Amino acid sequence: MPVLKNAKRWPLALMMGLCLAMASPVADAFEVESVEARFDDGLVIADARLRYALSEPARDALENGVPLVIEQRLVIERPRWWWRNVRVVERERRYQLQYHAMSRRFVLTWIGTGESRSFRSLDALLEELGRVESWPLVRSERLDAEQVYQLAMETTLDLEALPRLLRTVTLTDGDWQLGSETRRVEVRR
Amino acid sequence: MSWLRSEGFVRVALSVLLIVSLYLLSAATENSERFGRLYVWLLLLNGVVIVALLGLILNNILRLVRSVQRRETGSRLTLKLMALFVLLAVLPGLIVYAFSMQFLQRGVDSWFDVRIERALDDALALSQAALDQRMRDMQQRVEDAASELVDVEPAMTPVILGDLREQIRASELTLLGENGQIIAASSIDTVSILPHRPEEGILLQLRQDRPYVGLDPIGNAGLHIRALVPAPSPDGPGSSRVLQGLFPVSPRVNDLAEQVELAFSEYRELAYLRGPLKDSFSLTLSLVLLLSLLFAVWSAFYLARRLVAPVSRLAEGTRAMAAGRYGTQLPPGGNDELGSLVHSFNDMSRRVAEVRDAARRSQALVESQRAYLEAVLGRLSSGVLALAPDGSLRTFNQAASDILSVPLHTGVGQPLSGLAAEHPDFEPFAELVDQHRQGNGTDWRAEIALDTAEGRRVLMCSGTALPGEGEIGGHVIVFDDVTTLIQAQRDAAWGEVARRLAHEIRNPLTPIQLSAERLQLKVAPALDGEAAALLERSTQTIVHQVEVMKDMVQAFSDYARPPALQRRPVDLNALIREVVELYRGEPGEPQLELELADDLPPLMADPGRVRQLLNNLLRNALEAAEPGSCHITLSTARGEGRYADRIELDVQDNGPGFSEDMLNRLFEPYVTTKARGSGLGLAIVKKIVEEHRGTISARNVSHGARITVRLPLDVALTTESGDSP
Repeated sequence: MPVLKNAKRWPLALMMGLCLAMASPVADAFEVESVEARFDDGLVIADARLRYALSEPARDALENGVPLVIEQRLVIERPRWWWRNVRVVERERRYQLQYHAMSRRFVLTWIGTGESRSFRSLDALLEELGRVESWPLVRSERLDAEQVYQLAMETTLDLEALPRLLRTVTLTDGDWQLGSETRRVEVRR
Repeated sequence: MSWLRSEGFVRVALSVLLIVSLYLLSAATENSERFGRLYVWLLLLNGVVIVALLGLILNNILRLVRSVQRRETGSRLTLKLMALFVLLAVLPGLIVYAFSMQFLQRGVDSWFDVRIERALDDALALSQAALDQRMRDMQQRVEDAASELVDVEPAMTPVILGDLREQIRASELTLLGENGQIIAASSIDTVSILPHRPEEGILLQLRQDRPYVGLDPIGNAGLHIRALVPAPSPDGPGSSRVLQGLFPVSPRVNDLAEQVELAFSEYRELAYLRGPLKDSFSLTLSLVLLLSLLFAVWSAFYLARRLVAPVSRLAEGTRAMAAGRYGTQLPPGGNDELGSLVHSFNDMSRRVAEVRDAARRSQALVESQRAYLEAVLGRLSSGVLALAPDGSLRTFNQAASDILSVPLHTGVGQPLSGLAAEHPDFEPFAELVDQHRQGNGTDWRAEIALDTAEGRRVLMCSGTALPGEGEIGGHVIVFDDVTTLIQAQRDAAWGEVARRLAHEIRNPLTPIQLSAERLQLKVAPALDGEAAALLERSTQTIVHQVEVMKDMVQAFSDYARPPALQRRPVDLNALIREVVELYRGEPGEPQLELELADDLPPLMADPGRVRQLLNNLLRNALEAAEPGSCHITLSTARGEGRYADRIELDVQDNGPGFSEDMLNRLFEPYVTTKARGSGLGLAIVKKIVEEHRGTISARNVSHGARITVRLPLDVALTTESGDSP
């Protein structure tokens, strides 16, 4: 009787989901392995290496034609000991991952530009997605030379971008709570 | 009551809130963007409500269990109603839920058709197959182009590449070096500077001399065929250059392929989302059911309590009534049948209380009447006995006990004959009563003489049957001690007789004596010897007899009018010893035995009269006894019980005792069994006793007779009351 089995599981799943919905996303699926900022040509530019590992349900959904959106966020903050940090700049990039059945290829599309590339395997795609090179963040002048800034980077799977039906499930399912912990490095001009 | 009502309001508010939240939840579950964002919060809210409801239900269950354990009124009824309500709510709910779930699962599944899925798969496969041929062509073309590039000088490569691209109708032709770096490229798109590089994996494949051909969806440009082949370099076969050609598929094919791709992936997505869809609907449905059921269960507690409240109040009220707390009033409970039941209960309770009060009042009245009657009976000098229908003694008054000289309280509840067995003196009375009781006569009167411990008594009895049947009926017997009354009447009569006799006889006696003496004086000298002697004897006899008669008349006179008493303290014992001494040595050698109490207080009395009393009594006893074997016992004692203020003097002889006839008239004048004597002895004794306010009684004992005299000790009373003339 799957009905009863489900009915038994619901309250538990519900409670879990409620807890998860309130907590931060599970942080071990994605990882910001390294992130660094450099000054080049009057700009602050970031390079990073990210590691992506999709959970089984996410991989399954992708292979079944559900597009996934992964967000990468970079923030430069000026720390304050007495109050919240000041956000100097906040940048984000959104990528769509999609399986193209006709060509049997995985397509990575940068949503901001519409630029896309296709990969024979998902791993190749994720490898490419994890390579962030020369991401211009802000003009160097915006940063005070006297100050020490923090560059923070994180990446998450955007659940809001999922089909709505799937969203209700993902809210209550830990396997869908994919994201990295925020990695911070100091930036000094 | 107020908490029930306020709980009711809370319940209504909660149920409205619940319905709204459930509506929003279902709206969010359906494809509605408006509420989609609320979904989590709705889940959270509903979750909180579920937890709250579970808590409330648990609390209610605990309360119920505790009250059942404590056996509180109405708790078991609440439990039953609860179980019933829950069953009524849960069972249909679960059935509907099961069916809904099944419909949901099947309904969602039925949207998906295996044939459509197969058709889409086939369409995709067909498209791929259709493109496969083309891809092989393109690969061939690139291979041809690669072979033409073999001999081209490096400097000429870009030019030749451009020609070749046009020749093989590629949109882009790129020559890649050993490490994947671009050596030369030619593109139909002059805007884009960078050629589309192949990924590392493909280059790796090429390094193993395996050509690659595949479809590549390129962003804005549509579907392309990418073909990579090894391109031999002019340097020799060792080098590994790669030629990549990108070919657009024809717009029509591109469109068709895109359509097929779109349809396929949409269907795939839908089919994939079937699970989450079902889960999501199931979640909402389960949530709705769970909330509804929990709410129903919670409400069932409320309803059960609300329904049972008047019943348990009634039960408590009834218990209170049973425990005797009449007049218990319950709070009014609505206008339904239970309400009217409560109303009726209150009416009944009030009436019972009124009846109880009336009963109490009448009981108090009866009690006071009884007390009144008892007081009256207690003050009566007549004895009163009440007998139950079976003849057993029910009540009596003190006078009855005193008159009969029997402790009647020991015989309450048993027939009089039982009492008679213990006290033989009582037997004639018991017989008389039983005889009249068994006879059908309603009223009866009888006189009876009883030999009581206090002496002989004459009782005037009258009895009647009490009205009423069974327990209530019975008999009442009233009797009076008429001994003294009769005696007094007789005394008065005798007093009158004595006075008249004295008066009538005394008057002619002196002339008779004088006449006789004159006769002697005048006639004697005239007579001769013999006649004179006769006259002498006769007149002597007359004079002597007149003297005797004078004495007798004097005695009568004394009896009728005794001298005044000269009271002073008298030691009775000393007086007795003194008198007894006179009788020792009398003819017949009487044996006189004294049993005198040592601690006898002095008596306020006239010693002369007391001496006369003792004399009379002793003489009476001596005369009664057989000559030669006379034995008289005199005893004195302090009275006991109700005679505590008296001194008792007993004189007992061993004579034949008094005859029955004698006993009744013993103390009357001229009552005697003896040949000589005036017959005034005991009458005078009685008179002396009465002068001293004492009592006298006589009775027969086993050998002989006993006369008991009781003289009061109460000096004050005797002195105050004075000496009667």
